[in-house]
Amino acid sequence: MQHEGKEALLRTEGLTRRFGGLVAVSDVDFDILPGEILGLIGPNGAGKSTTFNLISGFYKPSAGKLTVFGENCTGKSPLTISRMGLVRTFQHGSLMPSMSVRDNILLGTIHGVRGAGKRRERAAETAEMLGLTPYLSEEAGTLPHGIQRLVSIGIAFAARPRLLCLDEPLTGLNQTEVANTLAVLEKIRDEHGCSVLLVEHNMKAVMKVCDRIVVLHHGQVLASGTPAEIRADKSVIEAYLGHRHAN
Amino acid sequence: MGENLKLPYWFFGIALVLGATLLVSDPYVASVVNIVSIAALIAVSLRFVMLIGELNFATAAFVGIGAYTAGSAITILEWPFLVALVLGGIVAALVSIVFGYITLRTKGPYFLLIGFAFTEAVRIVYSKSMVLGGNSGMVGIFPPIAFDPWMPTFVMAVVALMIFGLYLLERSDFGKILTAIRDNEDVARTVGLNILFVKIACFAIASFAAGMAGSLHAVTNNVISPGDFSFLLAAFALAYVKVGGEDNIVGPLVGAVLLVVLGSYALGLGGHEHIFYGAAVILAVLLMPEGITGLLRRGRDRLMGKGKRHAA
Amino acid sequence: MQIAIQLILTSLQIGAVYILFSLGLTIIFGVMRIVNFAHGHLFAVSALVVATVVSWLAARGFPVLPAYLLAVVAGVAVSMALGYVMYVFGFKYFQRDMVGSFILSIGLVLLLDGILLEIFGGAVRPVPEILPGNAEILGASVTIQRLFLCAMAILITAILYWALTKTKLGKALRAVSLDHEAAMLQGVPYNRMALAGFMIAAALAALAGALIAPISIVTPVIGADYLIKGFIAVIVGGLGSIPGAILGALFVAAIETFGGFYLDPTSATIAIFVLVIVVLLVRPKGLLGHG
Repeated sequence: MQHEGKEALLRTEGLTRRFGGLVAVSDVDFDILPGEILGLIGPNGAGKSTTFNLISGFYKPSAGKLTVFGENCTGKSPLTISRMGLVRTFQHGSLMPSMSVRDNILLGTIHGVRGAGKRRERAAETAEMLGLTPYLSEEAGTLPHGIQRLVSIGIAFAARPRLLCLDEPLTGLNQTEVANTLAVLEKIRDEHGCSVLLVEHNMKAVMKVCDRIVVLHHGQVLASGTPAEIRADKSVIEAYLGHRHAN
Repeated sequence: MGENLKLPYWFFGIALVLGATLLVSDPYVASVVNIVSIAALIAVSLRFVMLIGELNFATAAFVGIGAYTAGSAITILEWPFLVALVLGGIVAALVSIVFGYITLRTKGPYFLLIGFAFTEAVRIVYSKSMVLGGNSGMVGIFPPIAFDPWMPTFVMAVVALMIFGLYLLERSDFGKILTAIRDNEDVARTVGLNILFVKIACFAIASFAAGMAGSLHAVTNNVISPGDFSFLLAAFALAYVKVGGEDNIVGPLVGAVLLVVLGSYALGLGGHEHIFYGAAVILAVLLMPEGITGLLRRGRDRLMGKGKRHAA
Repeated sequence: MQIAIQLILTSLQIGAVYILFSLGLTIIFGVMRIVNFAHGHLFAVSALVVATVVSWLAARGFPVLPAYLLAVVAGVAVSMALGYVMYVFGFKYFQRDMVGSFILSIGLVLLLDGILLEIFGGAVRPVPEILPGNAEILGASVTIQRLFLCAMAILITAILYWALTKTKLGKALRAVSLDHEAAMLQGVPYNRMALAGFMIAAALAALAGALIAPISIVTPVIGADYLIKGFIAVIVGGLGSIPGAILGALFVAAIETFGGFYLDPTSATIAIFVLVIVVLLVRPKGLLGHG
């Protein structure tokens, strides 16, 4: 794939993962470029979660190659990959429920920032950016769902990754919260130059915020391109959008 | 920002208990004070590993390793007293690093049961080792004569120092990683933290404390035998933690003081130690799952008329 | 050759008791996700009651065999009643709470240790020989009593295996232990399954205790050693796995017997511990554990 001379932050080539006889992800190729928000979409069971776990090192690929920031990371551990600057969240409960919001976000700074004072500065700055300052002293597990989702992003972004991978961060959010989260993602991209991989079900939001979209279907890449291209893609409409619209 | 470490309370509290030990002259009271101090340190060590969400029944083994190390260093090698004492902690920590490197990949019941098996296996090694005195153990582990009148104060000082150190660690950013591991290990891993390394470090620190408790046990009891370090030792420590409350480091201290003092009183009445401790644990987990300190905190919150959260 | 056969037979005898023990532990873990350290006391209570009742009846001129059978009924009944009390007043509130349930069970261990010692005293309780005589198997000699123990253990294990795979209750228990949420969604009453699992485990421990009483030295602490070996067996086999428990129990028994003969009992115990470490290094969830 060519991207006008920009080197990809992350590249998968022929990425495949089998579970016993079942092929969850088959021969998946895509790139994530510097400074973009890439949407990874597809119906349930299309292989989104598996792909997500493969690129963050939680699963080892059965075949294919994973390149992160120019280095071959095939089969590397989640720790190695996260230390290179690829930080992910989880779909469910991606925070420490018994700890305060302040300590949750602080956790993200510990590996990368030296000195207790500097860590607190970074955490405060991150909280401010996400609008979490009023909740800093609250126990994270007791907060409303929408705030908890933001805290999850806060923990990950406090590590100042080069690539932030979010697993369905909009699930269960109301319209205001969705708009708020999308604004945060744009800020992360525009003000910090951090790329974002967004695995999402909320089509409207993905179309609105993403620079490019990769559509997975039956574990394979069905289409990729700008939101406009995806919207116009016949196979995508058939496989996914059409099915959605029919509901 | 600055976290409230409640340092004045700590300094005042430590000074108070140390001062109190200076007034002890009765040998029976002195021995109870020593037992309470050592029990408190073991309980705090057990709780330190509970911060990462694991029950460490190998605690008993590390207390034993500390005691036998200090005992051998004093009676066989005739090393200086203080060196022998610290050596107990160091050897326990070193063994725990090897043991932890293998076993901390497992979790929950597996980790708990393997610690239990380790405790029993180590005990068999002592009982079969001629150098360590076999089943009858080691005798004549005495501190220098000059120490004798100051033993309760000395033991309390070492214990207070260790517990204060563990408290500072718990409240540091390292301590926050420990809680994060208990809460959600996966998230901690995704932000670049080496979970296995942190777990081993936590385990080794706790084992150093347990080893020091073992050293102190050896030099205050003067006699040690394999029977002193069965899994029951860890079970008693767990009783102190549960009865006192595990939310706060003060909990195990309250539990240790209360149960040891009541226990030695119950023994004096001819009661049965095991029944007493067993009933205490059962009642504690059934009726006050947050322990005495948990009850007190709730009572205070209610008095103050607000459900104030205890954010760390 | 004869030595080997003798050792294999001994392994099977010890293994038989370990199997009954570890099956109970693994069923409780599978269904309730708890670790019950007081399990050994269900075993001890049964053995103590059997020893007491047999001696009492024999002293009053009862023939030994009927006396033993009566004693077994009494032992199993008392032990299961104790298990029921443990469950209803304790473990019921700690389902799927590993730490809480474990702490509760440690409390029970301490309490029952003390109580059993008060009631039965620390002295050894001799049980008269129930089935006298020896049998020859491939040139190796075994007492009939031990042979009977093995046969019973195999029978009980076979019945349990059949019940778990063929009966409605057994299938429900297995479903709960694989995925309790899915099982509950399909209408399996979880609380009743937990009680059933706990009581089956209690019955297994009680039977093991009743069977071991005539051929062992019965004291209030008889359960402790079997408990350790039983837990090691389930760690090796994988907590929650029935075939794992059987495999693990035989493994532990074989090492204990062969190690004890060719080396010495201490080395055998250390060897068992090394086995656990090696298994956990390769498979942190045991040989046949899930995941």
